[in-house]
Amino acid sequence: MIRSVYVLGEQGNMLYSKDYAKSESKADLVEFLINLTQFLGTVDLENKTEFMNVAISRIFFAQRDSFTFMFVADKADDSTQIEEKMEQLVDSFMRDYANLASANQPLDGFDDKVDEIAVTMVKVAILGFAGVGKTTTLHLLRGETLPLVHDPTIGVSIKKLPEEVENANIVLWDLAGQSRFSILWAKMIANAQVVIIVTDSTLENVLRSKKLVTLVKDEVPDAKVIGIANKQDLPTALTPERVGQILGIPTYELVAIDISYRDRLIQIIRRAILEGKAEAKVA
Amino acid sequence: MPEATFVVHLDDFQGFLVKQRYPSTLTLNEKVLNLIFYEQQKENKENLSLAEIEGLRIAIFSSPQYPKWMVCTVLGAEEEFDLVTEGLAGSGRLILALMNEDADAVNLEEIVKAGSILEKTSEEQKLAEIFLTPSSALLLERMQAEGVEKAAKLSIWLKNQVQDEVDLREAMAPLMNSGVVKVEMIGKTAEMVFLVKDIFGYRAPPVESIKKASHTLPAIANQYNEYVTSFFSPPPPNKGYNPTLPFTDPNSPILEDREKISRLLADSLNYMVLDALRTEPLTAGEVALKTALPESIVKKVLWSLEASKVAVHFEDEDIWALLTNPRIESFLPEYVLPMIKKKVSEKEITPQIARRHLELLMQSCGEPT
Repeated sequence: MIRSVYVLGEQGNMLYSKDYAKSESKADLVEFLINLTQFLGTVDLENKTEFMNVAISRIFFAQRDSFTFMFVADKADDSTQIEEKMEQLVDSFMRDYANLASANQPLDGFDDKVDEIAVTMVKVAILGFAGVGKTTTLHLLRGETLPLVHDPTIGVSIKKLPEEVENANIVLWDLAGQSRFSILWAKMIANAQVVIIVTDSTLENVLRSKKLVTLVKDEVPDAKVIGIANKQDLPTALTPERVGQILGIPTYELVAIDISYRDRLIQIIRRAILEGKAEAKVA
Repeated sequence: MPEATFVVHLDDFQGFLVKQRYPSTLTLNEKVLNLIFYEQQKENKENLSLAEIEGLRIAIFSSPQYPKWMVCTVLGAEEEFDLVTEGLAGSGRLILALMNEDADAVNLEEIVKAGSILEKTSEEQKLAEIFLTPSSALLLERMQAEGVEKAAKLSIWLKNQVQDEVDLREAMAPLMNSGVVKVEMIGKTAEMVFLVKDIFGYRAPPVESIKKASHTLPAIANQYNEYVTSFFSPPPPNKGYNPTLPFTDPNSPILEDREKISRLLADSLNYMVLDALRTEPLTAGEVALKTALPESIVKKVLWSLEASKVAVHFEDEDIWALLTNPRIESFLPEYVLPMIKKKVSEKEITPQIARRHLELLMQSCGEPT
């Protein structure tokens, strides 16, 4: 997701800035961006958007005339998507606000425009073997009535989270767990920023699910991976701590058929998106 | 006539998108799209498969060149899959190539009704693939120096060159597919790689097209001649284009240009337009008719060919002609004969291997190239 938006003038002066979520230490970042702007003055980007990786973030930048535009986003973001957003931002600024900025006038209405542009799509993939409760988790997240009959998912079921998280639209990809669909998993998790691995908290299933963690780390190394120890209401359930130890990823308890878990789960996803991969901690 | 045709793309965020459909009244649900993708994923090569999904017989075409794209055709009750495979694969290939250029501009109805297809890659295109795969081009250079070599030795050499794990079979594939090398087991243990053809990529003068223009298009003939002359032999001190100069000569155009030529030839849309212009200058509309490609695509390709100094545009007459004719040709590598002789006398290869190499050379030069 886009965490911050900056527009700088010729002298590296800040014309506009907005933060949607916390990123690296802000003062250092601003100083870095000003230096970057001065450096960019010496090269020609040919109206293209470029990016560089800085710690857990990816900074996208573009220059037009004497203005420099920057997004602080995540490494896991789809760069094509962010580059398109950058083009929209640059076009809108150059069309309606460049003259105002040059004349040191307030940029009325630009803030709303940025809000409109900076909404990104964040993909959250839900992965796990058959019957562990992935689709139930999806229904829980969407606040829907739970189906009484088990109807195995075919391929993938894609739904949006009804509410936005900060400036991100969350798209949930509920992947079919049956083993015949395992050939699709690697393709389906491409570009996911968060992957939720759901287990039914039985020892056998959790041990099998270790394979999924490896798959996810190979296919989407920049994604944040979290474990779900579902079916905690059953007597055979391992504790979430134990499940987390076996899987080697931060893991949270869940009873997907209990609506009271909904807010907690949304908070977990929200934190996963905002914190990014490097700061993953077991709650 | 199929009942319906549609193009599906798996978008990483939005999931399955039906990008084009004909007829436009066709409706599809998520389950059908999922099952189509599942069937298609079972195979990973260029593939046309038939699946029965929700009572529909759907032929699915996909190609590793365009991952996550599928062209699907709902077959009519009376249609025999085996009888229509070639046409479906050809139109699938064309639709995906066009979607890749500009997905919104594709007119599925026009393509389906006209039965337009894209042929399988031609011999020339297969040769072009060699220069587009860096490790294949390296292997070719090695084979030009060795003539015949053990596969195992070649594999070790290649690993040292690229400093990385590399699959010899994969690097060898373009060379084998185009018949430039042959790989055979000689005896029980030695897997040998034989060079049986060599290739040369260059821009030829568009002789046939110029001749035709002088007969049928006097309005452009003189100017056309001038354009071509100034490319190949401009007045001194300019040197012009001379592909016979050795690699070491600073004026040699080959190294920097060969990849460009290969890229042009390997791209099927470019190749079709280029091939249509080889015999005569044409208007964009005529190229579209000759190739059965939509005119908007033909124009795009022509502009890109103009930028690569392959085509020229006579604006007043609105005619396009070839400025240069990119070619990749194969020839018999006579220079391997003394190499074979030397290797036998130094006991590097057995007489049996040498004999087999000569046989292969004879077979390959007897084939039409």
